Amino acid sequence: MITYTIRRLALAALILFVAVTAMFLMIRAVPGDPVKIMLGPRATPELQASLTAALGLDQPIWKQLMIFYSKMMQGDLGVDVFSGRSVTHIVMQQLPYTLELIFASIIWSALLGVIFGAYAAANPNTLWDRMIAFISVSFIAAPAFVIALLSLLVFAVQLRWFPAIGVGEGFWSRVHHVALPAFAIGLSWVGYIARLVRASMLEVLGEHHIRTARAFGLSERRIIMVYALRIAILPVITVIGVGMGFLLSAAVFAEIVFARPGLGKLVIDSITTRNYPVVMGAVLVSTGLFVLSTAISDIVNAWLDPRSRQSL
Amino acid sequence: MKMEWIKAPLGRRKFLQGSTALGAASLMPMGFLHQAWAQDSNTLRVRTYGDAPNMDPAHSVGVVEEEIHASIYNKLIQYKPGREWDWQLDAAEMIEQVDPTHIKFALRNDIGFTNGHGAMTAEDVKFSFERIISDATESPNKPDMGPLSHVEVTGEREGTIVLNEPFAPLWSIALPYITGNIVSKSATEAAGGRIGSDPVAESGPYVRASWSPKEKTVLKRNPNWQGDKPAWDNIEIYPIDDENTAEIAFDAGELDLTRVSLGSVQRYRENVPDGGRLLENPSLYYVWLGMNLDHPKLQNKKLRQAIQHAVDVPTLLEAAYFGAAEPSTGIIAPGLAGNRSANLIAAEANMEKARALLAESGETNVVIALDTLNKTTYTTMAQVIQSMLAQIGITLEINVLESGAFWSSGENEDLQLVLNRFSMAPDPSYATAWFTTEQAGIWNWERFRNEEFDEIHAMAAKETDIKKRDAMYKRAQDLMEESGAYRFITHEATPIVHSSRVVPSLRPDGLSLLRYFGKA
Repeated sequence: MITYTIRRLALAALILFVAVTAMFLMIRAVPGDPVKIMLGPRATPELQASLTAALGLDQPIWKQLMIFYSKMMQGDLGVDVFSGRSVTHIVMQQLPYTLELIFASIIWSALLGVIFGAYAAANPNTLWDRMIAFISVSFIAAPAFVIALLSLLVFAVQLRWFPAIGVGEGFWSRVHHVALPAFAIGLSWVGYIARLVRASMLEVLGEHHIRTARAFGLSERRIIMVYALRIAILPVITVIGVGMGFLLSAAVFAEIVFARPGLGKLVIDSITTRNYPVVMGAVLVSTGLFVLSTAISDIVNAWLDPRSRQSL
Repeated sequence: MKMEWIKAPLGRRKFLQGSTALGAASLMPMGFLHQAWAQDSNTLRVRTYGDAPNMDPAHSVGVVEEEIHASIYNKLIQYKPGREWDWQLDAAEMIEQVDPTHIKFALRNDIGFTNGHGAMTAEDVKFSFERIISDATESPNKPDMGPLSHVEVTGEREGTIVLNEPFAPLWSIALPYITGNIVSKSATEAAGGRIGSDPVAESGPYVRASWSPKEKTVLKRNPNWQGDKPAWDNIEIYPIDDENTAEIAFDAGELDLTRVSLGSVQRYRENVPDGGRLLENPSLYYVWLGMNLDHPKLQNKKLRQAIQHAVDVPTLLEAAYFGAAEPSTGIIAPGLAGNRSANLIAAEANMEKARALLAESGETNVVIALDTLNKTTYTTMAQVIQSMLAQIGITLEINVLESGAFWSSGENEDLQLVLNRFSMAPDPSYATAWFTTEQAGIWNWERFRNEEFDEIHAMAAKETDIKKRDAMYKRAQDLMEESGAYRFITHEATPIVHSSRVVPSLRPDGLSLLRYFGKA
């Protein structure tokens, strides 16, 4: 298990390196002079030259990349060109909002998805099973941005139950503010997870140990909750790990539509203004999050199901 | 063995009970939460289109930060709210132009800085203005101060602004706008000469209470402010880039004021929720179709003129602005010196003339490219222009660019046609500055070079006679249009909605002067 964990973490580090390097090169390949965009039209040529040098943009790209990595290893992601604030500080300020949104989405969608999936598997080919299948597929098919706008119009504008913008202050206010965006980006995951759990559960319910459990007279509730669901839920852990990445990208539009701060909005704003240090800091952290979450889900999966360790 | 596993272990009833319980649990705090974000009668909530991370006027990048700076700092003069461009006294109790290059001022005696930095003095004014023009400050706003030489301090609260030469925009841009903000000399020096994302000493009717990046800025009343008491205790400023999101937030009662998209104007004309109002202000922005005079495909003046005549501006405005914007007559908006009453070429297309000009040009099988921003308004206009040019036999290829790439188009020598939009400060010199020979290939993307135009731009900024200035700028725009490189389209509009509890105070172009906002 230790060998597997070390290998998996090494792979994660390699993926992170490749992704960040690719992003570093891509942002510089995009047309547009960052210094002009940052300083605006009134800046003098002297000022532009000064900022170009300060950002190291007068250096060859390979050298810029070396400088970036050497500073990164020392925990220095540079400073924001506009405010002079530390990029690490800026990114860390935005990170909790994105994590809050992602975790809220995962928690409610996993909870509901597992309940739906388990219930459908426990009642296969019944009206409830078909209804849950229909609802799940509908959730999967519904584009998140449509859900976001509809939920805003219904729950924020019409009913005024939930706030339309912002993140709130204090625990309950924050829960209240995250509800709609988490609903919008988590809805399709309810469908995915429900279908996944149903399929996995049906497979498990047909296995010998379940039949043995029944033969011993254990209650159906106990069989499902304790013996079947625990195994059937394993694929969900893997999916949630990968889902972190999808939810990170979905968070970008949720942050824009719901006017929430967060890493996604930070990246978009920084790319638009060619604020390279902030782009790289935000990309490093968001990519790191994705890579780490998939690594953790793989490791947990390997711990629960030793057969999967052979895949690496 | 009784095979009963297909009977629901979680029975329908239990399932429904569980779901109801979950739903109820999630809704339980709603009543109390609703109150948590419901409107506070002493808090004004407005939207701006971007975040304001910079509290140093010398490094301010535009109107977003200025909305905050104008509330927490003072200037000698401020813009007067209303429909006409005018200024009023702010920190100055007296200001007078004694000759074309000397402006005397005296400060009020009741303005002080927070954090123990004492009363505002003429030394603070000298420091604030001179640091803008100092190379050491590296201020991108330095050009706004024009030919400022220095500020002479003649008393504790008296001084004289000394210019190297006359400078008309001093009264319309330099003093009442970004560069006019007066900061505390002692506080700024103590901060190392540059103010960062936190103000070091404030003097206006509000102080910045908090800033949550990308979420909101909160201003609260300055307890030490001795001037007229502002109407609102707190102002919350939300940076919302997307206008649709802002409109939803307004409709949901979470914003008191926001600019809305031109596409929504008709909807708000019919009904503004909760008894609010729609204000339709003109704008200073100018939008035009430009043609690169250096490009081999556009060397033929008759071809350029054919394009000018083929573009029907009212149709463009109907398609892209839903009829909420008026055709423009140049780059200088109504209300400013130099605004022309009409274009040389009528706003309506003249297809017959366009076809005739194309035939005279001798050009056949013309295929040209148009670059534009990736915003619906501009892509729509580009498509309409494409169909208009097709009617006279010109094929137009449209390149849609994201903002970063688009705003670097000045260096693109292969640029042919461009659908462009520039922002503007309330002085005509701000508009002509981008079309001089010096700016060719930088912000003058048409590479329009005209000695008379350059001379007018240089001389008109020094001209203090309004009538002469007006005539000079009108002539400058005639020259632009005569070159065949420009088809002026619109100054757009600034539609704003506000709630019934707010009395907004706006500049003539619709930008908020938050310190003067009242309560209904």
